[in-house]
Amino acid sequence: MRRTEPRLDGNSDEPSRGTRRGSPSLRLRVGFVLIAMVLSAFGARLVQLQGFDPHAYAQAAEKENLVTQVLPAQRGEILDRNGEPLADSADGLMITADPSVTAKTAPALATLLANKLNLDYTSVLTDLQGKAKGAGPHFVYVARRVPAAKAKAAVAAAEAKGFKGLYTADDPIREYPAKDVAANIVGFLGTDGPLAGLEQSLNGELAGKDGKETYEVADQGTRLPLGPSTTVKPVDGTDVHLTIDRDLQWYAQRVLQQADEKSDALNGMAIVMDVKTGEVLALADDPTFDASDPSASPKADRGARSLSEVYEPGSVEKILTLSSLIDAGKVTDRTKLSVPGELHREDTVIHDWFPHGIIPFTLAGVIAQSSNIGTVLASDRFGTGQLHSYLEKFGLGQRTNVGLTGESPGILPSMSQWTHEIQDRVDFGQSVSVNALQEISAVNAVANGGVRIDPSLILGKAVTNTGQVVGTDVATSHRVVSQKAATQMMKMMERVPDPKTGTAPQTQIPGYRVAGKTGTAQRAVNGRYDGSLTVSYAGFAPADNPRFTVYVVVNDPRKGAIGGGVTAGPVWQKIMSFALRRYGVPPTNTKPSNLPTMWGKGVNHHGRP
Amino acid sequence: MSSTAATAARSVRRLAAWADPVALRRARLTVVPRPRARAPRLPFVALVSAILLGGVIGLLMFNTSMQQAAFVENKLSVQASNLAARQQALQSDIQRLNDPQTIAAKAQAQGMVIPLDPAVLHVPDGKVDGVPTPATADNTPQLWKHQPKPTAPVAGGTSTSTKSTDKLAKQADAPKHHHKLAASAG
Repeated sequence: MRRTEPRLDGNSDEPSRGTRRGSPSLRLRVGFVLIAMVLSAFGARLVQLQGFDPHAYAQAAEKENLVTQVLPAQRGEILDRNGEPLADSADGLMITADPSVTAKTAPALATLLANKLNLDYTSVLTDLQGKAKGAGPHFVYVARRVPAAKAKAAVAAAEAKGFKGLYTADDPIREYPAKDVAANIVGFLGTDGPLAGLEQSLNGELAGKDGKETYEVADQGTRLPLGPSTTVKPVDGTDVHLTIDRDLQWYAQRVLQQADEKSDALNGMAIVMDVKTGEVLALADDPTFDASDPSASPKADRGARSLSEVYEPGSVEKILTLSSLIDAGKVTDRTKLSVPGELHREDTVIHDWFPHGIIPFTLAGVIAQSSNIGTVLASDRFGTGQLHSYLEKFGLGQRTNVGLTGESPGILPSMSQWTHEIQDRVDFGQSVSVNALQEISAVNAVANGGVRIDPSLILGKAVTNTGQVVGTDVATSHRVVSQKAATQMMKMMERVPDPKTGTAPQTQIPGYRVAGKTGTAQRAVNGRYDGSLTVSYAGFAPADNPRFTVYVVVNDPRKGAIGGGVTAGPVWQKIMSFALRRYGVPPTNTKPSNLPTMWGKGVNHHGRP
Repeated sequence: MSSTAATAARSVRRLAAWADPVALRRARLTVVPRPRARAPRLPFVALVSAILLGGVIGLLMFNTSMQQAAFVENKLSVQASNLAARQQALQSDIQRLNDPQTIAAKAQAQGMVIPLDPAVLHVPDGKVDGVPTPATADNTPQLWKHQPKPTAPVAGGTSTSTKSTDKLAKQADAPKHHHKLAASAG
């Protein structure tokens, strides 16, 4: 099947038509040759571009003209229980430059920017010249996290003087408006990431996810409006609400700081807890640091000692020991004891804080006058290991897991280590170590009618970096001692602030029933007792319908009168009064407990020895 | 059938071409070229020019309006971001003024104090719960540190080894030595 082909080359034997313009076939041939040459050149170039190492060319083009910029996600805020900001992100800008444009005028521009933004001249200069580390041909960071208004003013000033090649982009700043208030909990953000506190442990919640923008720029660094561009929007972080009450926290921190200064103490802690919910309303550490200027404080002060540092609680522990003993049915608040001046135990002699002969204390008197010997004598009625299991249920030796990293679990001697001598000392709070939050949670169990609630720092819930879910939503509670035991303990603790019977008249709040217990413990420093003390006071009010538990610890006070009542007591009283007033808690108008503290003939049953 | 006929016709043509090629060419039928009617050129040129001109002008105007919109957008976005920055600065100011420390310092400067004991006034019957006491400066904490304090080493926890219990035993009466210091008990 052959067809006659159209004879495009023309018929040479036909008489040519347009002789004036040359033969059409010749023209066509020449035309085709030209087109073929041009197309071949294109084809060759195409093969060269696509066939030999196309990636290098693509990368070169990208490097030359494409700019990728990170779009920072807005970090979640950290707010107190009333929504007041403890850490928030403000609009900040990053100032970036196109070194290919700025290099020519670098020295003059660097001088201007260094002055306006308080930057180091040399580093700005190397940035603008494109010699800084990580600088691209069209992109380099000049300054990051500059307050928006300041950055805009600086760039406007540069533009007014005719400088080109400076750009700004969003770059949120972290602000801590309350400075040192709750800084021990909130932590802070370093230039490269979170360094302490919840900023660190809840970084996954707070950080969000940065977005990315890639676009093409023209030779002079101007963005091509219709050029290829891709944008991945940033995902902002989640806000975290704390149980902390900022104003109460502030007051607790200031009162504690003043007390620490007055008694020349090493450090101090004060915690306020909502009795019914276990929410921590204030968690003060002194000394602490300013979250907006962390480098001004020593590194040791940039955390929460109330969680990271353990100490022996001393007599505050008697609350736990004796409420357990009552719960076990071994004693009541009226149990009569004969307390000698010293107690010889194996290789130990136990003393009380004041020398005395035999005193006919009731159990309430033992608490009111904080008798070590009385506590040990009563606790002899415990079965083997009974106290240990009670203390475990009170939460000793286990982390509270409120969401802060670096918490120490404390040391509750294990059952294999548990000996009679150890129990004797654990009875009154030595040979056992706690962190302050553990101890207040245990005391709070007594305030809460015998039910221990997990303490919380976070309202709702949040997931920490270690994958732990924390917060009020996941706080659990369990009964440690019976309601009856807790009530008897409360009544005994009411004898402590009573000036007629107790050791801490400083903690009275006129009109209110308050229950508390002093603590004076020897401090273990580097594994031995060096003679320094930890003084503390724990208690709750109103005693018969408690709303708050407050715990104050002062470590190593060295000046003036030293003791749980005189040193920690006034701090406790001020913080508790402030809390009661702030939350409008009225007095219960019931009669305070009048438990006998002593027994027998010839002694004042409602007095002190 | 038709294919046989076509083959036959083709063989005849081939034979004829061999015999007398010139005659064959003459015998072929060709289309007579249609007489070309020359349309007047002016309207066409005018139409094309009009389209071209319209297109150019339209593009120009479109471009100009795009440009204009871009300028306006740019101006407005600068204004918006300036206003946002200003709002942020003002918010920062509010936060700074709202800081409890600032409020306390200002209140103290005006002679205000934090009251000592809580008391509750029931407005309807005028009954007072608690013991109202005049407010003094006693409960108002000092706002600033007097002097920065050097930080001491971190205290260690309790050791429960036999060795340290020995030490414990020896020092168990230590509080006795401290009782003179203590105005209140532990």
